[in-house]
Amino acid sequence: MADGATLAIAQQGAPSGSSLKRFARRRSTIAFVMTLPLLLVIGGLVAWPAGYAIWLSMLNRRMNTFIGLGNFEILLDSETFRMVIFQSVFFAVTAVILKALIGFWLAHMLHHIPTKGQRKWRGMLLVPWVIPPALSTLGWWWMFDPSYSSINWLLNVFAVPSVPWLGEPWWARISVIIVNVWYGAPFFMIMYLAALKSVPEQLYEAAAIDGASSWQRLRYVTLPMMRNIISITVLFSLIVTFANYDIVRVLTNGGPRDLTHVFASYAFQVGILAGNIPRGAAVSLFMFPILAVIAFFVLRGINRRNKEEM
Amino acid sequence: MSASAAANRDLPSIYHKAGSLRAERRWALWSAYISLIFAAIIMLAPPVYMLMTSLKTSAEIADQLNSTPWWVYSPTLENYAALIGNEMFRGFFWNSVKVTVLVVAVTMVISVLAAFALGRMRFWGSQALATGVFLTYLIPDTLLFIPLYQIVGSLGLLNSAWGLVLVYPTLTVPFCTWIMIGYFASIPKELDEAALIDGANWMQMLWKIFIPVALPGIIAATIFAFTVSWAAFVYPTAFITTPEEMPMTIGVVSQLIRGDTFAWGQLMAGALLAALPPVIVYAFLMDYYIAGLTAGATKG
Amino acid sequence: MAKTVSRRGALRAGAGVLAAGTLGAPMVHAQGSAGNLRIAFWDHWVPGGNDALKELGETWGRQNRVNVSLDFINTTGNQLQLTAAAQAQSRSGHDAISLTPWDPGAYADQLEPVDDVIQRLVAKYGPINEVAEFLAKRQGAWRGIPATSGTQNKPACVRWDLFQQHAGIDIRAMWPAKAERGPGADNWTWETFLKAAEACQKAGFAFGLPMGQFTDAVDWVGALFNSYGARMTNEKGEPTIRNNDKLRQAVDYAVRLSRFLPNDVWAWDDASNNRALISGRSALIFNPPSAWAVAKRDAPDVAEKCWYAPMPAGPEGRFNAYLPYTTGIWSFSRNKNAAKSFLEFISQRDSAEAITNKSSGYDIPPFATMTDFKIWETVGPPEGFQFNYPVKPHHQSKQSIAFSPAPPELAQQMYIQGMNTKLIARIAQGGESMDAALGWAEREINNMRRGL
Repeated sequence: MADGATLAIAQQGAPSGSSLKRFARRRSTIAFVMTLPLLLVIGGLVAWPAGYAIWLSMLNRRMNTFIGLGNFEILLDSETFRMVIFQSVFFAVTAVILKALIGFWLAHMLHHIPTKGQRKWRGMLLVPWVIPPALSTLGWWWMFDPSYSSINWLLNVFAVPSVPWLGEPWWARISVIIVNVWYGAPFFMIMYLAALKSVPEQLYEAAAIDGASSWQRLRYVTLPMMRNIISITVLFSLIVTFANYDIVRVLTNGGPRDLTHVFASYAFQVGILAGNIPRGAAVSLFMFPILAVIAFFVLRGINRRNKEEM
Repeated sequence: MSASAAANRDLPSIYHKAGSLRAERRWALWSAYISLIFAAIIMLAPPVYMLMTSLKTSAEIADQLNSTPWWVYSPTLENYAALIGNEMFRGFFWNSVKVTVLVVAVTMVISVLAAFALGRMRFWGSQALATGVFLTYLIPDTLLFIPLYQIVGSLGLLNSAWGLVLVYPTLTVPFCTWIMIGYFASIPKELDEAALIDGANWMQMLWKIFIPVALPGIIAATIFAFTVSWAAFVYPTAFITTPEEMPMTIGVVSQLIRGDTFAWGQLMAGALLAALPPVIVYAFLMDYYIAGLTAGATKG
Repeated sequence: MAKTVSRRGALRAGAGVLAAGTLGAPMVHAQGSAGNLRIAFWDHWVPGGNDALKELGETWGRQNRVNVSLDFINTTGNQLQLTAAAQAQSRSGHDAISLTPWDPGAYADQLEPVDDVIQRLVAKYGPINEVAEFLAKRQGAWRGIPATSGTQNKPACVRWDLFQQHAGIDIRAMWPAKAERGPGADNWTWETFLKAAEACQKAGFAFGLPMGQFTDAVDWVGALFNSYGARMTNEKGEPTIRNNDKLRQAVDYAVRLSRFLPNDVWAWDDASNNRALISGRSALIFNPPSAWAVAKRDAPDVAEKCWYAPMPAGPEGRFNAYLPYTTGIWSFSRNKNAAKSFLEFISQRDSAEAITNKSSGYDIPPFATMTDFKIWETVGPPEGFQFNYPVKPHHQSKQSIAFSPAPPELAQQMYIQGMNTKLIARIAQGGESMDAALGWAEREINNMRRGL
């Protein structure tokens, strides 16, 4: 993205070689100075703590002995933690897939109705994403409450028996996913809507002339045009969902039987509440390699497609 | 569509196709509205229910026989009155405002400068850095809070709103920088050529040309930073434990839940009051936000 | 407290809930010249429960010319525990702080020994109960003073009308509001309890006994285990799970009992059982009187039908679920003597009684000689229902803490992770065999012990 600017400057400075060099040096110095605050934030508050977390994760509980990969070994030996890995992956993957599908569906539906009404609908559907999730989850929690559940009240009206939303492990897992999807689907909807609007109308007209069905139009026109934005959105959402903490913290606090713990909530419990900071650090470090691998593949896919298009 | 309509005239089979197309369109419109209504009901049910609960007395909430959860029989504003009249709750609000304003200001300075340098001026490693900015999110707050807990603690900033001002930029700066790089990159290069010929220096160029042109992007990034710092939860949970320093989110979650005795009406009222500022901001500036959010992704 | 609940009354009570949460605005006394004292206490769950400490702080500060400022920190979301952790980490903060059961042990090397204070108190009021001593006396010294404010029992809060109607037990006759055992008290065992649980569940008023990982659940299951003599580890922290018949018996009982509980007790928090009682759907919960206090405000007809009974007895005796707080003085405090003297002052009988009175009888002093305060006989409605809330001699009951006698670093982890309730849940909810679940518990405990 920076190429345009650079080229322009190179042409501009062409006449005299030495002043060009000086100019370039000055420019890169200024640019570096302007980037410095960003580097300080990322270096000092992200990279350095992340490195420090790695160091911490190799200490014992009292933080006075180096035990290498001991904490990771202990964690992997623990059934609870293996379950946490499973639940984190299950939660993040299911939630992201559902968010992507629902967001895509809603974006499509919004795209179909006359432009005049779109703003109003878009505004309404965006509400879940605007409310801070820690607070809206409180509302959900109250809706799931065993004694006062308003969802069960509605179910009972339709003669459906009450559901132990947060009491039975699979229901609790589903509840956590429901809240996350409710909160995150509007984000996908907005991103996809923007992408849908950027697909040139002529492509659809051409497809219609060729007699393409609506499914074929979706499959061969819409989806290929949206691939990059879908990948980026899914990647971003996957990272955020893997790191989710507030929903689990407010809704189930990990229960029943730790079956709804994700990395973040378990790290909090082990690291800060039970006072084993190094092991907590080891728990939260676990998600990094998983995310890094996924990010690598997604970004490589995007780069490849960009190159093909060129 | 007009092209295909013109082609229909003398080809009956295609004419038939066009008829079914129209039916398909009508069907599509209907299914769109039905889906949207259904989705809107689900999306709005929790906030509506929160509103209903916040308008009830504790007695009405506790009474399950003579009341329905989804309706208020004797609405009251006493939950809101109790909160607004409460000094601690107003304290949460001001803490949130204070932290958010400072964080937004810091974020915008850092990310506009950096995005301009990365997007318009090239230097060694700038491209890698531009990509790397986004990857910062691979290290989320839930991974960083344990080491940061130690770092913030050693600076003596645990239990202080300043600690939050220090760490929140890690949540906001990368995304804002990313949005702004996209925005600056989309500005035609003729602009800086013209400015350079006029003998402007880089800061003047940024200040006089790029910031005004990229204003929609800046607004979008500001809204993003505002939302994120208003809604931040992990860091205040870990770093703030005294109510005087708590921002809204953690204040409502930890202080209105009174141990084993809940005041649900107040809790819901508190949650809604805390959600109000972002809702208002979005109601007015949603279009900018969406434009900015999608700019980075579609151009990136 | 005893006024009819009108709309305005409810409003006032509602506001009280919040007011109680307001930080005790630091009380600064102009005449203070002997330094400053900052203490963090547990923020009381009973509206107005902090007032006694505030008043005591003011009185003592005036007498001793010390600026006393008291902060009240909630345990919801573990705020109090997090504060303690943060202060231990940064070696700064309050002079003294309320510590949750296992924390005095976990922070032992950062807490000032207070043996001199304890000696004087014990000389005056007799011994401190065994559990409080076990938790507070670590590495050869008392690391804190067992507190009154916040320390709670969790005996049975029974709906006597439902109990009479469906289980056929007149709990008010069995445990009357005087120091004697009524008819059937000798048979108040876990087996009797099981039959009552079944009868009430069939009638649609299942007992509201949480089985999650919050303190209410862990504490009552801990008392159940203790009354079967079921221990998960020994003093060194080595698991004592294999071939432990007592443990098997206790777990087996809990699994049988759980069939008569609501099906989502596995995820209940400390408030779920209260809501079960207040909503009128439950005939019994194990809880301090905070549930009753809210019922009095929101559902007065439920509150009038509450009655306290001790926990049922098991083969190894009767144990009462107990959640004691200890006030510890940080070794980095700059005003240790003032802190000691203030804590000694609030542990006196008069102070303790004032604290208990302000909390409507919720708080339990650590001395057996202080279980006879008037408040427990008079508070109501129904009058006298709290008589059996403190552990009285005629209950023939001991205090209990889950996971004793494990070393604190380990016990704290087991406590926070709810090892005992999870063990039961794996069998009753997860469908595992007893052997599989016990095997899991043993592996998990061994795992916790590694890398300490």
